[in-house]
Amino acid sequence: MEIAGKASAQPSPTSDLNELLLIRQAQEGDRSAFDTLVRLYDQNVLRLTLQVVGSPEEALDLYQEAFLKVYRSIRHFRREAKFSTWLYRVVMNVCLDHLRRQKTRKEVAAPQPENGETEFLQTVPDDRPGLDPERATHSKEIGRRIQLALGRLNPRERMVFELKHYQGLKLRAIGEICKTSEQTVKNCLFRATQKLRVELGDLA
Amino acid sequence: MNCHDVQENLPLLTYGDLSAGEQAACDEHLAGCENCRTARERLERLQQVLEQRPLVEVDPALLAEARMSLDEALDRQQHGWRALWQNGLPILRFQPASGFALALTLVICGFGLGWGLRPHAGRLIDGVAGANTADVANPDLENMRISGISRIAPDPKTGGVKITMDAERRVTLEGSLDDPRIQQVLVYAVKSYDNPGIRRDTLDALRDHADNPAIRQALIYAMRHDANAGVRLEVLGALSSMQASDDVRGALLDALEHDDNAGVRVAAVDALIDHAEKEGCDAPTALALQHLASTDSNPYVRMKCTNAMMRFGK
Repeated sequence: MEIAGKASAQPSPTSDLNELLLIRQAQEGDRSAFDTLVRLYDQNVLRLTLQVVGSPEEALDLYQEAFLKVYRSIRHFRREAKFSTWLYRVVMNVCLDHLRRQKTRKEVAAPQPENGETEFLQTVPDDRPGLDPERATHSKEIGRRIQLALGRLNPRERMVFELKHYQGLKLRAIGEICKTSEQTVKNCLFRATQKLRVELGDLA
Repeated sequence: MNCHDVQENLPLLTYGDLSAGEQAACDEHLAGCENCRTARERLERLQQVLEQRPLVEVDPALLAEARMSLDEALDRQQHGWRALWQNGLPILRFQPASGFALALTLVICGFGLGWGLRPHAGRLIDGVAGANTADVANPDLENMRISGISRIAPDPKTGGVKITMDAERRVTLEGSLDDPRIQQVLVYAVKSYDNPGIRRDTLDALRDHADNPAIRQALIYAMRHDANAGVRLEVLGALSSMQASDDVRGALLDALEHDDNAGVRVAAVDALIDHAEKEGCDAPTALALQHLASTDSNPYVRMKCTNAMMRFGK
């Protein structure tokens, strides 16, 4: 499975055979094999968690929680799915739990930055050449609106949309990650798109 | 396909994630339906808007921090109660009947053993106490099976070091850092021991003795191969205080050019600057600084290299 279609792929692609060997060694308790597996995927995992939660502190917590879960349960991994699919299932469940907790805490729609506080995604520099200050401000405003609109999706729609639109995963891969049918993913994606169209209709 | 089916498939159509058959059916419907064409155009505009969300790039320093915290959390997992539960007592977790049988057997054995040893209990306890508390002054390291190192602490009074190890029994080895046996254990700890905390304690003990070739080689080895960035930073601290021999400078340059942790690379630049200030900036160092001033992925490292080049007039 392609893990990060749109984002830059993790360096050091390892062959399936090597990965299989690493998984087997990690299942036998070899910590350095587990570390190597982590390094194959952790950049993309951190990128995904950053994209989902917005704040580096929370992203670090989710990153750690996900890999600790993988460490504790890797001995139960039976190779029925690809390791990357299984790993992303764990990451997605951790992110979903986080989004649900966040939703419960702030039932009032999307996470709004506190007074004067800057949201992480707004601090990501936009290095595209030729942007004048006015355009840059406009672009920042659009970024903020998109983030708010994504925050209004329910957790499952949000994750499916992130994996499809921003990570570029195929429908089947998302279905495997979510342990659900392609049709369910398709419906979820459709609902997410409809909601985004309502939220961002004036920009489109 | 009717309008409802097509509009439901529109997101996948724009992502190119439909089968060839579905794609053809959609295209056929779209060719004759203005409503659905308008819906597709609206969706394409929405996707263009969504593309304007800035793509998050993972900061190397954040990734390094994430890796270090995970490393520490995994260490705690490996040596905590959870590890005992997961690795040591699986039979009790997964097979209640076997677990009960095992517990019963242990109770019966305990009673039996207690009864059997009752007349000799005093003698046994004396013997065990003596064996456990006795330090081994001159352990035979060649023939001893060492299973782990639990503590390394410098002794400020003697200037030596105290190493507590698990072998056939726990032993404490005490002596000067010039003692080849002490060096042998410490070099083993730096190069091969799997607990990064112990590796860092070892480096603390070795820090002031890097003039010894064996210790220096162990430090350089750790600089190049240790998986934990915190340990590599400790090594850098030790190496930067040493005289700039070729092998030390080579290790620092290696760290600057190849270490994946930006914090380590920054520390390597600082160490190279220290050396260059004392002994002049040699050609390989100048070349590396010049190269990384424009190519390093981390802006702070690039700035450090640029400043260093300006300072040495390169």
